Amino acid sequence: MVILREGLCPGLTADLITVLKKNHVRTVVDLVASDLEQLARKCSLSYKTLVAVRRVLLAQYSAFPSNGADLYEELKASTAILPTGNKKLDTLLDSGLYTGEVTEISGAPGSGKTQLCQSIAANVAATLHQRVCYIDTTGGLSGTRLLQLIQCKTQQEDEQAATLERIQVIHVFDAYKLLDVLQGLRQSFSQQLLRSGEKLRLVVVDSVCAVVYPLLGGKQTEGMAVMMYLARELKTLAHDFSLAVLVTNHITKDASAVSRPALGRSWSFVPSIRIQIHRDEKNKQGENRLVSLVKSSRQPANLQVEVEIGWCGIFEEKNMSTACGT
Amino acid sequence: MSDDLRRAESGTQLLARLEGRASLKELEPLLFAIGDCPLHGDIVEFHGPEGSGKTEMFCHLISRCILPVVDGGLQVEVVYLDTDYHFDMLRLVTILEHRLSQSDEETVKRCLGRFFLVHCSSSIQLLLTLHSLENMFCTRPSLCLLIIDSLSAFYWIDRNNGGETISRQESNIRRCIELLDKLIKEYKLVLFASTQTIMQKTYNENSGASHSEKRASSATDFKPYLCKLWQHVTTNRVFFSKEQKQESHIATFSVTSCHLKSKNVIKRSFVITEAGAQFIP
Amino acid sequence: MQREVGSCPLAPSVRSRLIAAGFHTVQDVVEVTASELAREAGISEDSAVKVLQILRPENQRGSSTAQKHTALALLEEEQAQASIITFCSALDESLGGGVPLSKVTEICGPPGVGKTHLCMQLAVDVQIPECFGGVDGETMYIDTENSLLVERLVDVANACVLHCSLITQAHQQDDQKIAMQRFTLNHILSHIHYVNCHSYAELLAQMLVLPDFIAQHSKIKLVIIDSIAFPFRHSFDDLSLRTRLLNMLAQQLIHIANQHKLAIVLTNQMTTRIGSSESLLVPALGESWGHAATNRIILHWERLQRFAALYKAPNQKDVTVQFEITHKGFRDVQAVEPETSSSKSEINPRKRPREHDKEYQP
Repeated sequence: MVILREGLCPGLTADLITVLKKNHVRTVVDLVASDLEQLARKCSLSYKTLVAVRRVLLAQYSAFPSNGADLYEELKASTAILPTGNKKLDTLLDSGLYTGEVTEISGAPGSGKTQLCQSIAANVAATLHQRVCYIDTTGGLSGTRLLQLIQCKTQQEDEQAATLERIQVIHVFDAYKLLDVLQGLRQSFSQQLLRSGEKLRLVVVDSVCAVVYPLLGGKQTEGMAVMMYLARELKTLAHDFSLAVLVTNHITKDASAVSRPALGRSWSFVPSIRIQIHRDEKNKQGENRLVSLVKSSRQPANLQVEVEIGWCGIFEEKNMSTACGT
Repeated sequence: MSDDLRRAESGTQLLARLEGRASLKELEPLLFAIGDCPLHGDIVEFHGPEGSGKTEMFCHLISRCILPVVDGGLQVEVVYLDTDYHFDMLRLVTILEHRLSQSDEETVKRCLGRFFLVHCSSSIQLLLTLHSLENMFCTRPSLCLLIIDSLSAFYWIDRNNGGETISRQESNIRRCIELLDKLIKEYKLVLFASTQTIMQKTYNENSGASHSEKRASSATDFKPYLCKLWQHVTTNRVFFSKEQKQESHIATFSVTSCHLKSKNVIKRSFVITEAGAQFIP
Repeated sequence: MQREVGSCPLAPSVRSRLIAAGFHTVQDVVEVTASELAREAGISEDSAVKVLQILRPENQRGSSTAQKHTALALLEEEQAQASIITFCSALDESLGGGVPLSKVTEICGPPGVGKTHLCMQLAVDVQIPECFGGVDGETMYIDTENSLLVERLVDVANACVLHCSLITQAHQQDDQKIAMQRFTLNHILSHIHYVNCHSYAELLAQMLVLPDFIAQHSKIKLVIIDSIAFPFRHSFDDLSLRTRLLNMLAQQLIHIANQHKLAIVLTNQMTTRIGSSESLLVPALGESWGHAATNRIILHWERLQRFAALYKAPNQKDVTVQFEITHKGFRDVQAVEPETSSSKSEINPRKRPREHDKEYQP
């Protein structure tokens, strides 16, 4: 219901706004939805001016249909698949994280969500030479650990430092601040700040649940609304700037003790891909984790792979260089 | 409204608007509870939880529309309003490639030329976009189908922003539906819109009990929460659910389709393959 | 896409008025004056001024750029930061040098296994002067169970002073000699800021004043809450309220730890979870609380020996180490210092293993 104000579009003068307001046309929606011929007569305004203003306002505030054929061409050029650094996980994800999509990892405490995020971030920065924005809401990110992971990828110290510099770290601990940060990211994109040089390809939010949970519950809709604003911000960032967005979520158990991702139904529509990670029940102390696909539009759900999280994160031991011993 | 648009309309456009829209009766007869559906002006609701195949069914319907007649398609145009930022273009391309007899790049792109995608990020934007789409409905006689996925995307945000009264909270979506109803009837289009099963909150780990009850059946799960007007304008409602079958790896989905006027109900199943959704006869 | 008014932290009534008046995006709001805003939206001038304060872009940007840096800067910061040693070298090693600053560490375990002992040890160790490789900090000790024992604390502090003076004697370095003049029992005890909280309400209130207190006492490098579980395990009918409060608390703690670069150590009790085949002893307060701490150390008994298992740490592998509690405090089993090898101090008689602690279970 954007309010009409001077300067919103050419032709929309202060005088015109005053006249419109007297006739109960206060917002863009009011103007767009009114019968312009009648309005012109009633306010003795020029019909042509009103039509022109309506057209400009519509152009400014409505979304435009894109033709499928053009979109397809664009997508072919802009879509990228970011490998995770682990073959089995890539198989599960149909080659990796897709740009334009939100991928979710859910799991119990200590199941390895943060390890997975750090490994993937390190892989994108080290092997793809692309930039990563890592938003940490739980204090779980460790620079020391990132270095260990990067050391598994390269032994050159200057390359390790360069890789670490490709990962931007942001600490936020509440949902509104997270919205600020995401909005800031959008702004820097539109100001072309991030377009030059190495591309920002991956945004990690570990975890989205930690900041949303304190707002949920009770009869308040505020928590739900903030969650959906976050969802929208993440999805539109992914979509508008060809980013892969990776978020983590907690799990919750239903009455039949089946664990499922937390944050409820409204959130369940948000991620395009959902995977769940858990410790191997038979071998609780081991480093093996079972990762299963909960939701995907490309692969049949219920696929499951076993991934080992060791010194080199999820990277295969084969790739392990001798530097790992240090 | 939009006298400016109508004034600019030529005689042939007027004719196209009133007479020329192709029938969608052959779109997917198995999806409807009675024959000869959907008619011009019909509004079909898809309702279901996450992962129950709604978007996949939309892809199937889109491909039915945009495929050329020689490949069994209807060769008409579709506008898809994506409010969830979920639509997977590459998935649609895969489906088309499987269904085209000659699936070269050019043919695929010719099909996609009949498809229009719009992204909306708020209910206000949706409303204004519908206003601006009127021009397109008016000038493209081969445009037959409008899809909105989903109509409930802005539910929580609108509720939170609207203040104390329900009518304020619903005002944006109600205006959208009013306009939709008018546009669909006036321009003899067909609307498919999805609504998500989001009520019965399960976000709290302590309310697990209600969750399992919920899963029993999605048709009984239906709890209208969008504004009353929406219940009033819909002509068909289709409930989607995913069937849990332990033994097979291929997931089957089921639809329960209701024709609201005649109260006819029909239940069918479909599977999702590489080539898209396919009904089990 | 512009930031919408609805996504900003405004009072619900003000927010809905603004939106109803047509102020859809932040941009719409910030371009008018407070009095115009008040008139158009039908809110008081005071609220309008507040709204503008919150929504003006310069305020938003200031708060978010502050915490941005590259992973390289993060690494350098971590490397420059000392950890708080526990005096159990095996545990220190598994933690990567000790209890880390800027993080939340949770110590879980059954009653009597040594949670409070470890807390007391850390409260003392955080004060070790920098020339001995310490953090030279102060402690904020929030006690919810009245379990801090001053006489034990004195033992631990004395042992720590003795340890440092032995090092000074061995090395004969001037800076250590100067530091030792100050590092005394009295000094240690007077730099443990002790607070007692009896209910969850008191604890939450304490959390609200904590940032100010830390700002006034900038040497605080360790905040202990012993235990987090006690105030939350009783007197809660509404479990979802409890979950919400705990989640809020978790975010506050992480924020404080990160902002002030200090360590937060929490203790938690264990509870029995009845599984389908077996019942397990798991940390209390539920599954979602498990995400709160960055490091989780579970202390447990195995026959008559005590073990610490590192369960969840971002940069360390899961390991289990053995420790013991002597009259000097928390120590390795294989005595590193010659004076702890005397057998009489093997187990502290106050805290014998108790195998029948069922009364502590919920």
